[in-house]
Amino acid sequence: MIDSKLKRKQIIVCSVLLVLLFLAVTWSITSGEYKMDLSAYLKTLIGQGEFKDNLILMEFRMPRMLITLLAGMALSMSGAIIQSITKNPLAESGILGINAGGGFAITVFIVIGQVNPNTFIYVLPLISAAGGILTALLIFLFSYNKGKGISPANMVLIGVGLSAALSGGSITMMRKFNEDQAEFIAAWMAGNIWGDEWSFVLAFLPWILIIIPFLFFKSSSLNIINTNDQTAKSLGMNLDKERLILLIISVILSSVAVAVVGSIGFIGLMGPHIAKSFVGPRHQLFMPIALLTGAFLLVIADTIGQTVLSIGTIPAGIVVAIIGAPYFLYLMYKTNSI
Amino acid sequence: MNRLTGRNLTIAYGNKIIIENLDIGIPDKKITSIIGPNGCGKSTLLKALCRLLPIKKGKIALDGTDINKSASKEIAKKIAILPQSPEVADGLTVGELVSYGRYPYQKGFGRLVPEDVEVIDWALQVTGITEFKHRIINDLSGGQKQRVWIAMALAQKTDIIFLDEPTTFLDIAHQLEILELIKELNQKQQTTIVMVLHDINQAIRFSDYMITMKDGEVITQGNIPEVLSSQLLAEVFQIDAELMQDKLTGKPMIANYQLVNRKYSKVEIK
Repeated sequence: MIDSKLKRKQIIVCSVLLVLLFLAVTWSITSGEYKMDLSAYLKTLIGQGEFKDNLILMEFRMPRMLITLLAGMALSMSGAIIQSITKNPLAESGILGINAGGGFAITVFIVIGQVNPNTFIYVLPLISAAGGILTALLIFLFSYNKGKGISPANMVLIGVGLSAALSGGSITMMRKFNEDQAEFIAAWMAGNIWGDEWSFVLAFLPWILIIIPFLFFKSSSLNIINTNDQTAKSLGMNLDKERLILLIISVILSSVAVAVVGSIGFIGLMGPHIAKSFVGPRHQLFMPIALLTGAFLLVIADTIGQTVLSIGTIPAGIVVAIIGAPYFLYLMYKTNSI
Repeated sequence: MNRLTGRNLTIAYGNKIIIENLDIGIPDKKITSIIGPNGCGKSTLLKALCRLLPIKKGKIALDGTDINKSASKEIAKKIAILPQSPEVADGLTVGELVSYGRYPYQKGFGRLVPEDVEVIDWALQVTGITEFKHRIINDLSGGQKQRVWIAMALAQKTDIIFLDEPTTFLDIAHQLEILELIKELNQKQQTTIVMVLHDINQAIRFSDYMITMKDGEVITQGNIPEVLSSQLLAEVFQIDAELMQDKLTGKPMIANYQLVNRKYSKVEIK
């Protein structure tokens, strides 16, 4: 029943975004301390590059780039789902403190756990997801108002509070750490994309490959959840169950992402909103755009952070926040919810 | 015949019991209105009968099976509901919302099969909104929006439709349009209609069967000429009403009314 004009528009937007994304990736990969020129990059990409370029591209820059792309997609998609199931346009894993919950769990794990460097990267997403899910359930518990349901403003306030408390808790525990561990957590909390090996891609990719198709499979349910509760129930949906499953899935998605790239907020806010501004609230149409937008934003933010200063780098999470915070305020103003 | 019946119903919001030990039957292929003063439990009863609200005790049966124990999607093929002033995501078009009515029949990715498209087009046509198919719902007027929701309910292809105050927020002409549409559905499709209405005269004019409620209890239920009386209106609504025959429909109508307890009707001027 979707207008064919709108479908065409979606394909055009997706194509333009794909081109932009390719350009952003090219910019990102060719810049940095070792500047690879464009022809060397393209040659290497098709397997005709020199040994040195091949090494730099395939061993260092490509895995990090893939992680950035996947994380951008995961964060954007997770934000889209959380917004739809809570009907709160301001909801997102960073703002709601779900990322901070994952970070707290990771900190606790480092404090008490015997960290095994071989399995660390595979365990980390699980720890982060457990922390994220617990935090999400706490937010729902605290912001649930009997009879009134969950108000968007309440949810954000509780999320911000929880986020501050959990980050504070993580920082307090850092005193127990040695220098390396403390540095790791500090960089993690700032959203420094630290995963840069193929093993990280391997730890991350299966989650994406399972969860994202599942969410596309759920797009007609998501459209209906996005109308109103009574309609969803009268159409025969088991609303509470559906919502809980989707919440847990989307929290896992963002938690796995932040486990590998550090605490990065706002992508889940901007990605879906930009996508919906093109094709409206239809999940099957806006989710692909949200995926591409999320990936694009994170690549751009990371590259700016890596290149803008002549000495040192700025974590991607901070660059995203510089753009994302005003966007959030704008949305809050538009939603009139506070 | 009553396909839909409730026995010994106790319904509560949280711990507050609204309705206790209530028995009810909805006559098939008729229009039933539930009327009563504010807070009497009419909306509560309506929501419980269509399984939007869980019941504490008792059993609601449709064709002999407990609706609260059946698969919700199966019920959605038999009962459609028009909620009170429903919201919809901004930017959604008429055709899309009506297509959601096919959800109970869909599997997997929810692609519409030709039969779905046929039913959707039919629902748009019956409600007279075919020309609005590609319009954004939130840009439509109140009366048009209500037609869209009714079309969505029709796309569910059910034998029973529940409507919770379908005329609220509409001006009088649009109220009539919606009620005429509901009546037409009942007559042409043999759809069983159950609705909550505020306006007693409209309830009388457009329904066959009436359930009157007060303080969570059913005072009367039956065919309108048999149950409607001045005494009933005095008991349920605390009004002193004069009933006349409506020249247009031949049915009774309230000609004039005042409060039984006059002391509230006088404004004291000091």
